[in-house]
Amino acid sequence: MPVYYLEIIVVALGLVVLMVDAFVKLEDKRSLAWIGILGLAVVFALLFKVEWPASTEGAFWRFYSSGDSLALFFKGIAVLTTLIVLVMAIDYSPIILKQIANPEPGAHPQAGLGECFALPLFACAGLMWMASANNLVSIFVSLETVTIAFYIMVAYLRRNVGSLEAGVKYLILGALSTGFLVYGFAWLFGITGSMQLSEIATALANPELNPTVALFAFALILVGLAFKIGATPFHLWIPDVYQGAPTPITAFLSVGSKAAGFIITLRLLAPFLGSPALFEKVVLILTVLAVLTLLVGNLAALPQKNFKRLLAYSSIAHAGFLVMALACSPHETGGEITLSPDTVIAFYLGAYLLMTLLAFLVMTTLRTTIPGEERDSYRGLAKRSPFLAFALLISMASLAGVPLTAGFFGKFFVFALAVESQQWTLLVFGLIGAAAGFYYYLKIAVSMYLSDPPQDSDAAPISITPLTRITLLALIVLILLAGVHPGVILGLIG
Amino acid sequence: MESALTLNHFLFVSAALFAIGLAGVLLRRNLIIIFMCLELMLAAANLTLVAFSRFNVQDGHPHYDGQVLLFFIITVAAAEVAVGLAIIVALFRTKETTDVTKVNSMKY
Repeated sequence: MPVYYLEIIVVALGLVVLMVDAFVKLEDKRSLAWIGILGLAVVFALLFKVEWPASTEGAFWRFYSSGDSLALFFKGIAVLTTLIVLVMAIDYSPIILKQIANPEPGAHPQAGLGECFALPLFACAGLMWMASANNLVSIFVSLETVTIAFYIMVAYLRRNVGSLEAGVKYLILGALSTGFLVYGFAWLFGITGSMQLSEIATALANPELNPTVALFAFALILVGLAFKIGATPFHLWIPDVYQGAPTPITAFLSVGSKAAGFIITLRLLAPFLGSPALFEKVVLILTVLAVLTLLVGNLAALPQKNFKRLLAYSSIAHAGFLVMALACSPHETGGEITLSPDTVIAFYLGAYLLMTLLAFLVMTTLRTTIPGEERDSYRGLAKRSPFLAFALLISMASLAGVPLTAGFFGKFFVFALAVESQQWTLLVFGLIGAAAGFYYYLKIAVSMYLSDPPQDSDAAPISITPLTRITLLALIVLILLAGVHPGVILGLIG
Repeated sequence: MESALTLNHFLFVSAALFAIGLAGVLLRRNLIIIFMCLELMLAAANLTLVAFSRFNVQDGHPHYDGQVLLFFIITVAAAEVAVGLAIIVALFRTKETTDVTKVNSMKY
């Protein structure tokens, strides 16, 4: 089956969910999520079955890269993230319903819930296409497909001021970054005379090219990309949007949107890094960006009391490690390289998916029983629900980078890459960031296990649906497995 | 007679448009005005694309790739406005304001 069928299937799945919502009388609209979950599971299985066409001639292949295992890996990340986001959305739907309550008499009691299961599917198709985009036009269109779907999802709770505020902030800053990105694209097209990334790479490697104009285009594009991946100083939207958005959507933003942002960053930076005249300056800019992101993400997370906001800063901190890997890109004329930044970034994002989604899944499960998302509301959780507390402990340990978890190897590969390319400054800042991470992640674990529960809370055990339990278990097992044997994820990158 | 307009003229105008749009986004407080300024930034990118496309002649034709991207940008901008205005209206219904300085319930 040709690989681009997968995107078509996902879009069709989204349309099916919308149509079933509109024309079939459902008692419980949460069954729509099951259509999405089962469909995505099939698509995930099909990822291992796809084949590349023998000939990649023709108009379509100008917009879609072929024969590329990295693209497949990122498609897998997109599908898996969307699947788990739908699992979360099922648990979270009582909260969504409360915040979009429809006052009209005679309306379905769950009116307006169906779209929240369809929108992630459309975003997923965009994320999958982003992984294969190899032309400025397809990069732009796929990126915007995702971004516009996210505008709606972030502002989905339309009776909730926090969600709307997050939606407006995301809208303005997202549109601003799009402005920078397309202006950069226009200049890149102007100086290279092509929209095709491979042709752009050839044109940029030409020594007669004016490096100042190329750097101008690079700066504009980097501003746009830094917004999407949440690198300092363009991270300001992240804490507010993450805190205000519905929790499943926060998880989607933090994993799906970031992973896809990094794949197009890798693709767009490759031509600039391949140009001998620009290489050193680009690496310098990336190094500064990585240092700033590592410092801001890790240090600003230290005093956070809201758990969602803490995870927002944590996602900035992880973006810092990922940009650090980008800044360690080897010079083409350099010596033998055992690790490539592509592989390191792909592995890191794979591990990041597992541990971040685990944290968010625990958070959505708890949200219906424990009001609020403050750190203190999780005090003594181990006594109420040992299983959820253990899941959160594994997730926090992995995010911090404790050995025997997937997160450890993610950080280990980044540091190994920094040593290999002799980026000592970056290594120092990376270690500072990782050390700060231990403090704020493990503080949560300590408060869950060693503090007493808040006085006013009831001690009733927390119910977990079977689907959530299976997902939690799968994520825990994968984190530990990848922590002992990183080949589990590395093997998929190819 | 040779045309007096060169590529640089168009690039200067589009850079000015981009700067005006960016300044508006950063300085103005009304959400609707900010949104208009964002559209101005996209228009700047469009003008740059058309200019580069027109002056980059290949085989006697302009390089049409740039103009194709322009149509995609216009389409996406329209979709963005549709969603964006809906969000701004929803915000206005709950907060009765479009002033960005009053949209600040979340802080450090």
